[in-house]
Amino acid sequence: MTEDPILLRVKDIVVRVAGPERTPEGGGPDTPLGEAGFWLDSTDLLEVILACEEDFGISFDAGEDLTAEALSTVRSLAEMIRSRAST
Amino acid sequence: MNAGREWELPPARSLVALWRLRPAHIFSRSLWPLLLALDMAPFPWGEDLLARIFVAKAFVQVRRLREALAWAASHSADRRGRWRLALSCSSYHGRFVARMALVGVRRPEEFRRRVVLEGTERLGTAGRATILLGFHLGPPEAALALRVAGHRLTWVGGWRNSRAWSREAWRPFQGPGELLWAFEGEKFWGSVLYRACRILRKGGTIFISADGAAGREAFRVPVPGGPVVVRSGWLALRRHTGAQVLPVLTHMEDRTQVVTIHPPLPPLDQDLAADQRACREVLGALLEGHVRRFPEQCYTLAFPPAREATRADGRASIQPRQTHGLSIGKTT
Repeated sequence: MTEDPILLRVKDIVVRVAGPERTPEGGGPDTPLGEAGFWLDSTDLLEVILACEEDFGISFDAGEDLTAEALSTVRSLAEMIRSRAST
Repeated sequence: MNAGREWELPPARSLVALWRLRPAHIFSRSLWPLLLALDMAPFPWGEDLLARIFVAKAFVQVRRLREALAWAASHSADRRGRWRLALSCSSYHGRFVARMALVGVRRPEEFRRRVVLEGTERLGTAGRATILLGFHLGPPEAALALRVAGHRLTWVGGWRNSRAWSREAWRPFQGPGELLWAFEGEKFWGSVLYRACRILRKGGTIFISADGAAGREAFRVPVPGGPVVVRSGWLALRRHTGAQVLPVLTHMEDRTQVVTIHPPLPPLDQDLAADQRACREVLGALLEGHVRRFPEQCYTLAFPPAREATRADGRASIQPRQTHGLSIGKTT
């Protein structure tokens, strides 16, 4: 089965920002971005958001897009990007 | 007379609403109603009373007194001087908590009359992205002082509330372009930093604290009785936007709040380690001078707001005090 390309790209960005020390073994699309997952803090999240914008050529609406839910996991972030890219 | 009407108790409905709107991460259950009650008195009665209450509290909560005395030892060699400084620090803490809630300050003009701004010429021309970098080493509301004086900026920080905020006169200072509030949690802060980034990329000005309770530690600045823990959010914003950074320090002179905008930090160095070293060096000299000059006003050093804990990933994280802390985060 082919993996979702958006999901893969988002995961690459998250892993790059988290670095090997914080990337959990077996971390997948549903691994939390924050505690007990990739341990991304607010500054890391800013890096991820800006990298996603650049990589996908989109611009986020901070109020609508960057909710706590959207920033929960790699999958939720990818879903948000998918919906933003389709508008 | 307007002043007479404002002395009246607000309708019970709004008091109930205000009770529910307590910013629990700042004000405790016992302090919040006290602030609401003190707000009915004209300025500066409420503030003066809270200053005295905090001094009295130092004798009730022995831990606080011990903390203040231990901290005062780094500023004064003799016993009498240490006691004087410890109690003065407790008093200023009460005063600053009252200021944080704008106790008794009905209108922005009243606030403006008690503020002196220095170094505003450094704010420069419009269109230049600027980060005003504040510190919890003096009275609060330096950003508000600049805003009531007519300077355009967006305040970036944790959500807060007060009786004053519910007044019509303060509404213009609560618009979406004026405040970027973060509720607790890294996710909210990530989103807030992103919004701040957008403002800076459009050439705007933001005010953000370097030494708040949230965020990853970037470096420490040694000061007498310190250190001051500097967080990384503003550094990330500077790196992504190239904004100039102007440190802002503030202190009280009698009842007047003096807000000083200092010269900009060195321009951004692409070598991040060198950039942090350069910033730390400049901030070190600035903060040490300020702490030596106004030790009694540096309550966050006397009563540290949070303790560091080690997270599962081995990095430090902030654990705000939950019940008895007297801090930026929780005030009881």
